[in-house]
Amino acid sequence: MTVSRFWFMEETVDIPVDFAGIRLANPVFTASGTSGYADELSDFMDVNALGGLVTKSITVKPRKGNATPRIVETDSGMLNAIGWANIGLDAFVEEKLPALDKLSCAVFVNIAGETIDEYVAVAERLATAEAIAGFELNISCPNVELGGISFGTDPSQVAAVTSAVKRAVGEKILMVKLPPAVTDISVIAQVAVDAGADALSLVNTFTAMVVDIETRKPVLANKTGGLSGPAIKPIAVYLVNKVYNEVAKGFGIPILGMGGIRTASDAIEFIIAGASAVAVGTANFIEPGCAVKIIEGVKEYCVRKNIANIKDLVGSLNQDLTD
Amino acid sequence: MSEKCSATKRGEYWATVRANKQIGERFYRLGLEFSGAGAEAFARVQAGQFAELDLSSAALPSAETIPQELVDAAGRKILLRRPFSFADVDTRDDRTLVDILYCVVGPATLRMTTLAAGGSVSVIGPLGNGFRVPDGKKTALLAAGGMGAGPLQHLAKILTADFPQIDAVAFAGAKTAEELPFERRLDKIAQQLEFSLPEFARYGVRSLVATDDGSAGFAGPVTDCFSEWLGKSDLAGESMVIYSCGPEQMLARVAEIAKTRNIDCQVSMERRMACGIGICQSCAVECRVADSAETVYKLCCEDGPVFDSKEVVF
Ligand SMILES: Cc1cc2nc3c(=O)[nH]c(=O)nc-3n(C[C@H](O)[C@H](O)[C@H](O)COP(=O)(O)OP(=O)(O)OC[C@H]3O[C@@H](n4cnc5c(N)ncnc54)[C@H](O)[C@@H]3O)c2cc1C
Ligand SMILES: Cc1cc2nc3c(=O)[nH]c(=O)nc-3n(C[C@H](O)[C@H](O)[C@H](O)COP(=O)(O)O)c2cc1C
Ligand code: FES
Repeated sequence: MTVSRFWFMEETVDIPVDFAGIRLANPVFTASGTSGYADELSDFMDVNALGGLVTKSITVKPRKGNATPRIVETDSGMLNAIGWANIGLDAFVEEKLPALDKLSCAVFVNIAGETIDEYVAVAERLATAEAIAGFELNISCPNVELGGISFGTDPSQVAAVTSAVKRAVGEKILMVKLPPAVTDISVIAQVAVDAGADALSLVNTFTAMVVDIETRKPVLANKTGGLSGPAIKPIAVYLVNKVYNEVAKGFGIPILGMGGIRTASDAIEFIIAGASAVAVGTANFIEPGCAVKIIEGVKEYCVRKNIANIKDLVGSLNQDLTD
Repeated sequence: MSEKCSATKRGEYWATVRANKQIGERFYRLGLEFSGAGAEAFARVQAGQFAELDLSSAALPSAETIPQELVDAAGRKILLRRPFSFADVDTRDDRTLVDILYCVVGPATLRMTTLAAGGSVSVIGPLGNGFRVPDGKKTALLAAGGMGAGPLQHLAKILTADFPQIDAVAFAGAKTAEELPFERRLDKIAQQLEFSLPEFARYGVRSLVATDDGSAGFAGPVTDCFSEWLGKSDLAGESMVIYSCGPEQMLARVAEIAKTRNIDCQVSMERRMACGIGICQSCAVECRVADSAETVYKLCCEDGPVFDSKEVVF
């Protein structure tokens, strides 16, 4: 981590951020499902250099996940239909939590479930775990039959699951991950905030399909999958800006913005649009150390633009259309 | 090579392209060179391990050389890395030389053909677990289908160097003689000619060729050639080990043969991979659980790509 230097040799800055009451060393996370439980990435980068990290979705029981093929590449993107393959709560607590406890970056556990009780069970069990700063509530996964996006698209369900989990998480931060493909994402965001969300994260992947024209079948065994990667970035930036303006700004709720981030410029776009922090997803697969490069790039930008506190950049979109 | 994967440090390294030689209509042999930390990481690669290459910035070949059926796909931008195993690994001074045998099948492998000597490519590896040599084996049978010949060449080299007590025989199959991924023209090779493939002969390993259309060697699937050979041999099942790499249907057939004859068998599986490093969960291989009717998904990239054939649900 960069330490403050003497003013006369200051070519770099610290970029700490306050995120729903906790202080992060910088605003860069790795996204759920794209950084495992941290240990997988540690051969490629210093995970402690991150501002934060979100684990793969955890469910009460282990889940095998969907049949293969589970992924397919598209133009500047990819579809995945993993189906919450994960080791389950017990194994997570036993095998993964001890290592997460040693990390100095903020760890968020992504929770998923088919029923509200399942979400609550995971939250309750982990609510007192020291290793964990907070939770990301996955109500926006397009790749499972029950739960996931079926919660996230129905405002009354969003309210119910958010408030139930909020009661279970105690002092920990509750971040709600919004489904991007709804008529009005701000309606869902507002409901989540009213029900107790301390932070919002967006976007999850967009439901999509690729067809094999020889067989006339969908390529993915699950038929559909979630689109991620550079292809979704402009939509994600727009949605972050919309939720920032219409909900988050007024309530002082921070946004974790994501969707196609690969470079520092991408990350800065999201911050300007209204994200207090950003998460790197698909890019971890291609360049597993890129989050660290992004942190350095954001610092350089702050120096170049004379931004003393990165907070001043959040939501600083210039609406003035005159030159 | 031990029973368990030796823990070479995986990482992202830059390799210099030494050569990229066309050896058949669709086949190429890419020679890469690592220095520094990369040389160290790749020096002890096991046969069957693999690496993820970033081919996104490689150029397309000129339009007129693009096969008709790949014209639509050619324009697609590459996002993800692509997995490849190694046909040879060699150390020279403080450098490590790695060969990849590859076939042009889509946009990334099409771009791969334009990598030119002197250029560089980003490689993540070495990844996964390679072939293992169980104790007490006297004969190793290497069954390759199509591009599966790559890692089995590397295995032949390692067997000869480190396991002199093991006698190895290779079986290589393809649809036609044209599609055998070897440097020499094979049309006229008789099936009796046991040292027919120089890629194996250089390690003193005998090889038999099979083509579906009979244009070289045995006429029929390589698994039939393999099974016929086994039928004629009087070797005990326990003294042998089978290593196989190729299309999944072929691996399933090899696994069946191994089961019938009670021979240890390891198969190298392929799955679409987004990360190759155990994160994305995209590369699931359905595996049996011992003493149970249950199955689990293991990861091709981390638990494999080489699996015990008894374990895999084909
Ligand atoms: C562990 C491992 C080792 C490999 N080693 C080699 C090697 O040594 N030499 C070599 O030539 N190839 C190897 N492959 C396959 C190679 O990765 C693919 O051929 C390559 O990714 C194709 O990329 P592309 O963009 O050219 O074609 P794509 O458009 O990605 O694929 C072309 C066609 O092949 C299918 N396909 C692609 N990848 C896979 C897969 N993994 N399993 C099943 N079908 C697939 C696609 O559906 C499509 O129809 C290996 C794969 C794995 C998983
Ligand atoms: C392979 C893969 C697995 C994912 N798994 C999860 C998951 O388990 N839970 C979740 O909330 N989001 C998951 N996501 C969504 C990402 O966290 C992120 O929201 C999305 O991919 C957009 O960011 P990107 O374009 O940078 O990848 C997954 C994404 C990918 C590509
Ligand atoms: S390819 Fe990502 S887990 Fe195997």
